[in-house]
Amino acid sequence: MRVLHKKLLRALLKTPGQSLAVIMVVLCGTACYICIASAYRNLVLTRDTYYAQYRFADFEIYLERAPRTVAARLSAIPGARRVRGRIVKDVKVDVPGERESRIGRLISMPETPEPVLNDICLRRGRYFSEGAQNEVIVNERFALHNGLALGDRIDVSIESRRYPLRIVGLALSPEYVYMIRNVQELVPSFERFGILWVPEPFAETALDMREACNNIIGVVDEIAVLDGVLDRAEQTLESYGVFAKTKREDQISNRFLSDEIKGLGVSARIVPAIFQGIAALILLVLLNRMVRTERTQIGLLKAYGYTNLQVAVHYLQFALILAALGTVGAFGVGQWLAYEMVQIYVQFYQFPLLEARVYPDVLTRSVGIALGFAVLGALSAALRAARIHPAESMRPAAPRHAHRVWLERFTRVWRRLGFAGKMICRNISRNAFRAGISAFGVMVSAAILIVGFFTVDAFRYGLHMQFYEMQRHDLKVSFQLEQGKPTYYDVLRFAHVREAEPVLEYPFEMRNGWRKKDIIVTGLPRDARLQRLLDAEGAHVDVGEDGLSLDEHVARTLGVAVGDRVTLKPLMGRIKKEREVVVRRVYRQYLGIGAYMNIDALSRLLDEPFAMNAALLRTEKGRNADADVVLRDVAAIASIVSRDRAYQAVLDTIAQSMKVMNVMLVLFAGVIAFAVIYNVTSVSLAERQRELASLRVMGLTISEVGRILYVENFVLGGLGLIAGFPCGFALCRLLIRAYDSDLYRLPFHIEPRTLIVTTILTIAFILIANLAVNVKVRRLDLVEVLKERE
Amino acid sequence: MSEDAGNGRDIVFRVRDLCKDYRMGEVTVSALRGVTLDVAAGEFLVILGPSGSGKSTLLNIIGGLDAPTAGEVYFRDEVLTNYTDAQRTRYRRSRIGFVFQFYNLMPNLTAEENVALATEIADDPIAPIEALRLVGLEARRAHFPSQMSGGEQQRVAIARAVAKRPEILLCDEPTGALDFSTGKVVLEVLSDINVRLGTTLVVITHNAAIGGMGDRVVRMSDGHARDIVVNARRLTTDELEW
Repeated sequence: MRVLHKKLLRALLKTPGQSLAVIMVVLCGTACYICIASAYRNLVLTRDTYYAQYRFADFEIYLERAPRTVAARLSAIPGARRVRGRIVKDVKVDVPGERESRIGRLISMPETPEPVLNDICLRRGRYFSEGAQNEVIVNERFALHNGLALGDRIDVSIESRRYPLRIVGLALSPEYVYMIRNVQELVPSFERFGILWVPEPFAETALDMREACNNIIGVVDEIAVLDGVLDRAEQTLESYGVFAKTKREDQISNRFLSDEIKGLGVSARIVPAIFQGIAALILLVLLNRMVRTERTQIGLLKAYGYTNLQVAVHYLQFALILAALGTVGAFGVGQWLAYEMVQIYVQFYQFPLLEARVYPDVLTRSVGIALGFAVLGALSAALRAARIHPAESMRPAAPRHAHRVWLERFTRVWRRLGFAGKMICRNISRNAFRAGISAFGVMVSAAILIVGFFTVDAFRYGLHMQFYEMQRHDLKVSFQLEQGKPTYYDVLRFAHVREAEPVLEYPFEMRNGWRKKDIIVTGLPRDARLQRLLDAEGAHVDVGEDGLSLDEHVARTLGVAVGDRVTLKPLMGRIKKEREVVVRRVYRQYLGIGAYMNIDALSRLLDEPFAMNAALLRTEKGRNADADVVLRDVAAIASIVSRDRAYQAVLDTIAQSMKVMNVMLVLFAGVIAFAVIYNVTSVSLAERQRELASLRVMGLTISEVGRILYVENFVLGGLGLIAGFPCGFALCRLLIRAYDSDLYRLPFHIEPRTLIVTTILTIAFILIANLAVNVKVRRLDLVEVLKERE
Repeated sequence: MSEDAGNGRDIVFRVRDLCKDYRMGEVTVSALRGVTLDVAAGEFLVILGPSGSGKSTLLNIIGGLDAPTAGEVYFRDEVLTNYTDAQRTRYRRSRIGFVFQFYNLMPNLTAEENVALATEIADDPIAPIEALRLVGLEARRAHFPSQMSGGEQQRVAIARAVAKRPEILLCDEPTGALDFSTGKVVLEVLSDINVRLGTTLVVITHNAAIGGMGDRVVRMSDGHARDIVVNARRLTTDELEW
């Protein structure tokens, strides 16, 4: 087979451009696979070891207040292995030298290091010293982003008292791999939200929780018994006021991390398949053409005694070599991408150790996938070669008939078409399959672009709706305790506050039959102006006098429509009574989940005439920060959230990673469109070089001859682009469905700009492919081509 | 060459000391080794020679498809061999008609459309159907090349070449792929065009019998134009024998 190998090598070298295009596509697909699959492995492995090593809890129960001894009772529930009670509370934190206050989550830890559940991973400094009351361990990034070092002081305000605490350690926790305060925040704000681990005695004293806890975490023997354990736990804790029970899968940090991992798992299947599929199609066209031109040679080989199998394998090898070359290149590129990806993850997720690793089995599998698709693409050509009969092959192939095309029936149009137009039409109809592949390649490329840009459009639109159409306030202040009407008037009197509205937020378990959901119901005044609800058409929905306004997603998951009743069970201790409430309105929101009521009605539900625990403020223009400073000294205020900053934080973080992703997508889409068009046109050019050379002989210029090919590409590309739009839209809808969760939903929103940019890029890709083809047209050797009989 | 194109006719081509070397790897092959020749307007010139004698190379150079290694070709008053690529394209487009051994028709265009290919880029063309009538194929106008015989395809190729009213028609073995009787039909068509339209006709062939149809015959071998014979009378196709 030595000589056949030489033939193979020369065939590869004779079509360097086309071979390179196939290699590029395989390389992209394999690199994507290596990158995504490695990231997937990496995150799963890192997460699992981290969780195991630091004993990440299987469940968490928030309650009003329970004696610490309740933990022992809970661990006696069959199936529960270990339970720990602790104190968790969000407090206001002041960093010396910073004008605006931060929010800190106080979490109690044993005075001396113990292997507790949800343990911390100490990165620098030390654990608390015995008996010290004023020591704190903060999470690493909070310290970093606030310029805090070991030994520095921060001030914590609890119930109108300030406690200076000294930082003795910097740590990480499996609970806060993805560190956001609540679902609404979406992206971490390391500067503004920190975790403060404090010794139990301090938490007990400062929060007046002696021998008590308000947060219970535990692990179970096996996940299967988790629901049962949680039900039993709830019964045990009934008198202590359970706010919420969270399974590990719903724990915010873990949820975001797991969603990301799940997404990677799906991408690892789809993305490489797209590229390798395209590579297979190109090989299909390339090799079938090769077998057709080498018909006589194949017959000759067989006449000399080469077997059908040997001949078939010869053509398979052509594909395999290209795929192998692409894969080898992908090892480097893929590992580099994997490294870059880990760098992005390091920004978002906090692991003790997250580094790019090489997974040999991922590499092996990537080779398998690439070669498998290559064989698939080469198969039909190889079979065709195997079937060629030696005697028959010596005779020239029967000429392929040209046919009239349907357009010719419109005589007037046909006449005006000119010979180039006629050639293009007939050529497309003569090589319909190949033309279809060109159009298909462009379609896939355009669909990729649309989906890529859509995610940005949808995200921006969703954020804008949430932060600027629904929220009309500048600041939201939350109070430590429920307040009455007078507080509302107090708030109005603060400097720089122009407008204020009271808000009451209360956690409920909302139930419809067997379907239930823990949700915070927000009370708003009638005709609220600072927080609006909007329906699918963007029309204003008012909370009215009574009844619930539910967001579509909640209504859908609970299976309720306007007019249905749901049961509300308060999740805070004081009130036990369940009430039935009518769903009056349905509105739409994209981030988190929501339920709204008239604030008076909600207060009545809690047996109060009027209650509020937060207020929305509109400040004087540009005085946002000043108002913040005034408010941070008010002891009753637990936290202040600025809308602009929250919005900007989300946008900045997301936009950065989306920009990187979009550059990659444009690159990938370009490679696909280019490789397909360039290859198909090259094959077409090789097949028609006599035709085109005789046009040159007749006096047509290079560009006139080239135009026949280019226009054909633009016609096919145009068809592909047109098909790419609905195909892209369908993919967007699939994506929307895949991402439909309590955390966020993507709106089906595509900016006109996306379609324009997609069109422009597609045209550019075709243009680049045409330029590459032009080089070949230029090189067409007229004398040589016309001399030989095909 | 002493046997000039004479008869007081205009000279279309002056070929002077034309040389052409092909570099094939490490070997240099000389296809033309100093050819000097005149072609007169309106004459029927047959260039005769075995394969490898350089006749195709000569035709390609005067047709503006190829450039020589040394020597000049004057097309009327212009130095053809100084032309740029673009000028040569324009020259082929307006002055020259080519006919090859293999007809090189566009397989996916009908006979009439193949002719239209040429007329669409010409300034004062013959209507495609008229061109087909000239070669006796007006009835086959709507047929595709694959539906026609070799002789018919060659006649379409001739119709395509003459439809743009070229001053010169260059034919490279126009009957090479045809049998005797169809070959004769094709030659008759060519001769007829030469007489009726006054188109200068250069035919290269290895078939000595065809020489009798021309006004003059140039014999070529080894890259030299060996001798030029002026025929006293042009034979008709019926008188040909091969």
